[in-house]
Amino acid sequence: MSAPTSGFNLKEWIFTTDHKRIGILYLIGSIAAFALAGIMALLIRIEQGAPGPTIVSDNFTGGDQYNVWLYFHGAAMILGFLIPGLTGFAANYLIPLMIGAKDVAFPRINALSVWLFWAGIVVALLTFVIPDKPDIMWTGYPPYSISGTRGNTAFYVFTVHLIGFSSILASVNFLVTVIYMRAPGMGWNQLNMFVWSCVTALIIQLIFVPVLAAAVTLLLFDKYLGTHFYDPANGGDVLLYQNLFWFYSHPAVYVIFLPAMGIFYEIFATMAKNPIFNYKAAVYGGMCVIVLISGEVWVHHLYYSGMPDWIRIGQMVSTLLISVPVGLMTISLFGTLYRGAVTFNTPMYYGAAALYLLLIGGLTGIPLAMTVMSVHLGETSFTHAHFHFIMGIFATFSVFAAVDFWFPKISGRMLNEGQAKLGFWLNFIGVNITFWPLFIIGVEGMPRRYWDYSQFPAHFADYHKVATIGAFIVALGMALTISNWILSAIKGQKAGDNPWGSKSLEWTHTATPPGPGNFPKDVTVDASWTPYNYH
Amino acid sequence: MSNSTSSPGHVHHWETSVAPMLVVGGILFLVVFGFAGWFAYNSKMMAFVSAGLGLPLLLAGVAKWTAEGLTHKPLIEGVSPAALPIFIVSEVFIFLGLFVSYWTMRLSAGDNWPPVGTPTDFNLVLPIIMTVILVTSSLTYHVAEVKLGKGDLGGFRTWVLISIVLGALFLGCTVYEYSHLLHQNFGPSTNAYSSAFFSITGFHASHVLVGLGVFVAVLLGAMKGLTNKYFSFCAGLYWHFVDVVWFFVASQVYYW
Amino acid sequence: MKRAVSAMALIGLWLPAALAVAGPKGGLPDPAASWEHLWRDVLIDLFIIGVVFLTAGLYWVFKYRATRPGQVGDAPKLDRLSAIGWAVVPAFLFMADDFYLAAKGWTVWNEYRNVPRNALEVKVTGSMWAWNFEYDNGVVTTFDPDAKEGEGLVVPVGKPVVLRMTSSDVVHSFFLPQHRVKEDLMPGRVTYLWFNPKAPGETIATCTEFCGNRHSFMWTKVKAVPQADFDAWMAKQKQDKKA
Ligand code: HEA
Ligand code: HEA
Ligand code: CUA
Ligand SMILES: [Cu+2]
Repeated sequence: MSAPTSGFNLKEWIFTTDHKRIGILYLIGSIAAFALAGIMALLIRIEQGAPGPTIVSDNFTGGDQYNVWLYFHGAAMILGFLIPGLTGFAANYLIPLMIGAKDVAFPRINALSVWLFWAGIVVALLTFVIPDKPDIMWTGYPPYSISGTRGNTAFYVFTVHLIGFSSILASVNFLVTVIYMRAPGMGWNQLNMFVWSCVTALIIQLIFVPVLAAAVTLLLFDKYLGTHFYDPANGGDVLLYQNLFWFYSHPAVYVIFLPAMGIFYEIFATMAKNPIFNYKAAVYGGMCVIVLISGEVWVHHLYYSGMPDWIRIGQMVSTLLISVPVGLMTISLFGTLYRGAVTFNTPMYYGAAALYLLLIGGLTGIPLAMTVMSVHLGETSFTHAHFHFIMGIFATFSVFAAVDFWFPKISGRMLNEGQAKLGFWLNFIGVNITFWPLFIIGVEGMPRRYWDYSQFPAHFADYHKVATIGAFIVALGMALTISNWILSAIKGQKAGDNPWGSKSLEWTHTATPPGPGNFPKDVTVDASWTPYNYH
Repeated sequence: MSNSTSSPGHVHHWETSVAPMLVVGGILFLVVFGFAGWFAYNSKMMAFVSAGLGLPLLLAGVAKWTAEGLTHKPLIEGVSPAALPIFIVSEVFIFLGLFVSYWTMRLSAGDNWPPVGTPTDFNLVLPIIMTVILVTSSLTYHVAEVKLGKGDLGGFRTWVLISIVLGALFLGCTVYEYSHLLHQNFGPSTNAYSSAFFSITGFHASHVLVGLGVFVAVLLGAMKGLTNKYFSFCAGLYWHFVDVVWFFVASQVYYW
Repeated sequence: MKRAVSAMALIGLWLPAALAVAGPKGGLPDPAASWEHLWRDVLIDLFIIGVVFLTAGLYWVFKYRATRPGQVGDAPKLDRLSAIGWAVVPAFLFMADDFYLAAKGWTVWNEYRNVPRNALEVKVTGSMWAWNFEYDNGVVTTFDPDAKEGEGLVVPVGKPVVLRMTSSDVVHSFFLPQHRVKEDLMPGRVTYLWFNPKAPGETIATCTEFCGNRHSFMWTKVKAVPQADFDAWMAKQKQDKKA
């Protein structure tokens, strides 16, 4: 296959409308957000490493400093890193290649999406330089977020708007692409699991992001135009915002979770040289059912918020039932290994770790889902540990595994395996050291968003200290991993077209790396083709 | 800048366009920094400078985009009539978010509705006139499309122009109504009803404005003899959607 | 394959029945104790699920390693019946477990929400960043976390306490870790929680809904004292108030 001709041309990069380059622009932006938010995490961890002021100035201004770090950490990790990393980078780079299309349906809108996302990151970064820094947390609850002059809510709201609008446009673009641009002959049951996971995630995004947009717009109006939507003194309702926010933000976790699972399905099938175990159960019984019920469980974030009792109980049941579709997807993921021929390389290391992370993170969601358990465990470090395991580690690892797995295709070069594996082990060991202590003190009552905890028993400090050490191990692992990408992209060993022996179109039918138009020859598939035809 | 191929065959160079980046720059300065300057920092200076930078960027971006859309052959043709309804799904949910907020306040207020501060002599005739105007404009645009289908470019231009005038008239009514209400000290911050009233009608009006912008783009293209049936179809579809939403806005906000 | 499916079906029928056997009953309501009991059950339940899945996953990862280059897997192809079986049977098993957990959770939840009739009522107001407690005779107490001064919330041992709570500014949350309960406070609404101070002693309540700069410092002492001491304390408070 012919290699693409061209040296580096900056104009062709920043004005690009090619989905692969847009994907890479997403990746650069989201990793930058990750690194910055990660550095905030280190500041948070140092501060929490001991009770009393460590790096903040004193008890009276300390909160203001810490809250800005935590605001940026939460908002940037979710809006700036994970959602764009998965439905931006991975979906952009892979979907057209996997379905045999030359590009997406609307390349210019795709470019609009990526630059809207970048604009969102720029606005988020202004957090550090503007007066009245946002300190309202990624949840932005009123009345705090609309009271006083502090905590510049406008920059939070516009970050959400820009990134939200970007993801709505991306949803439309990719749904149309998958519906109309599949290679001739490719039926819905022949799609890659990753494509299905994105289709379902993007449907969720299309429906729920607008509600968030409405919720934060009203926040803006309340604060700056003096409207009264969230102001109980004038006929508004405090809980209205919380309901609208979680109506979006719970489904948003599946916007993250589904593509993350999709990536691991691809890695498992390729590395175990097996078809997906019970494909249809995972797609229709798992992913599609999640789309259907993800919008009926948001009250599990409001169990202790004073919602009527009947709805707290009703949504406990619907939340618990999420374990059914997720469980079917889990069985399918695990089952893909059964009687496989597993090759162990870095992506598969992440895959093996994912088995464990998915269980720890997912199963600890179950006590939180039980109303009565949550009135103790909710808003404590237990919640932290839950969502860091499932999102901050499982889903985050999926992005790292995806880059490692598709690296040869993207860059045309192989990673340095040794460094990649070392990075993996540091990451994996580090996150366990960081987040297990949080489970334990969470059950004992360590609240969230506290930089000082002197009122609690002295042994909390020991657990926090251990967690802080863990965070630095992760930082080392992440630095190794990210620097490996940069160095290997420049001077790694040249890769062949299909180093893993995959059967999926992006490996079998394209050059490495793919040039403009993706496929040297138009792709058609027949009814017996699947991306998992290993035997 | 753009160098799309005219044949859908194999592409051998990287496609580019400056339009998207111009649009994003425009939005960033005009909306984000403009709003922050005016409202968050009370700096008229910052607001005007930002808007002054943003507006030309945005207009240049849109103009460039429209020109490219009308002259370059896309990779796959005829999918925008399917894409727009998908986009409209998400628009529906934004409006739903706003309506839910309104309903929450309305239903929890019980008998205290409309809350104190609401003018008792609310003009309930104007919305009916506005409805007639908007519905008519949907019809006139439909006529325009029929003309285009028959290849009558002159007729198309005329009827698009009529639709634009009607749309502008609708916005004029809104401006009239707002200024009248503001004079009666009924502004966004007066009470719960005014909050909902201005947010919902304002949000709808912003959609009318966008729709008008699209019509202008269609018209400018048609003046140069450039038309694209999918583009004009989508413009119409969007306009009809804005029209339908108005029924909900009017019935919920004015007459309930 | 069919054997496995029918074995799972059998477990699916048996498990809910076995789990439906109710937990211990009777005695005075004590939400915190019920919580701890339930917590143990949940941990066991989740531990079993986790171990089953993890063992299978890790065992397969290591057992089915490729031994020669170019080797492919040889997973049996699922026929229609086993494909359906592998979806329906696990789905029912998971549902059974979900309903079991939901039922147990609901029972304890009812304890949490049904306030005993003889409960002592205290009005709580949260504000940035302090707690105010108002007893039904008008006595008001508070606590200053910096100087560690003030009475905080004082309650008699052995008598249920119900807190009627509201906020004067932003959202706060009253969290009593020792009694396994929290509930938010908002402006414009009154929420409640109750707890049963069984033994004398001092513990803390702390704010768990983000409320700005001094969120970490928004805590108060909660002291349980024998009824006689409580009455004496209350008399003294009334005295001080008059003075
Ligand atoms: C990727 C992100 C992600 C994912 C996938 C999940 C998945 C789940 N989450 Fe999590 N969650 C978050 C991210 C995520 N969460 C975040 C960010 C927060 C905090 C937000 C904030 O306040 O800032 C949060 C908070 C949060 C809360 C609120 C806690 C609080 O108020 O403090 C609750 C409560 O119900 C909850 C529950 C669940 C449940 C039940 C699942 C389920 O989907 C899990 C399902 C998975 C399994 C159950 C494991 C696999 C299944 C099997 C092995 C089958 C058998 C199992 C059974 C029968 C039980 N989560
Ligand atoms: C994807 C989501 C994600 C991820 C990956 C993480 C990652 C981490 N998180 Fe975060 N976290 C959240 C999402 C996430 N978090 C959210 C949503 C909240 C809630 C916020 C709220 O309450 O509102 C939260 C809150 C939160 C808290 C709670 C603070 C509090 O409540 O007071 C803590 C405390 O320990 C914490 C720690 C960490 C740590 C140590 C990591 C580590 O894993 C981070 C490791 C990464 C790095 C250290 C960066 C490494 C990179 C470099 C060093 C650059 C190298 C560069 C080159 C070589 C070019 N997080
Ligand atoms: Cu009050 Cu946090
Ligand atoms: Cu949730």
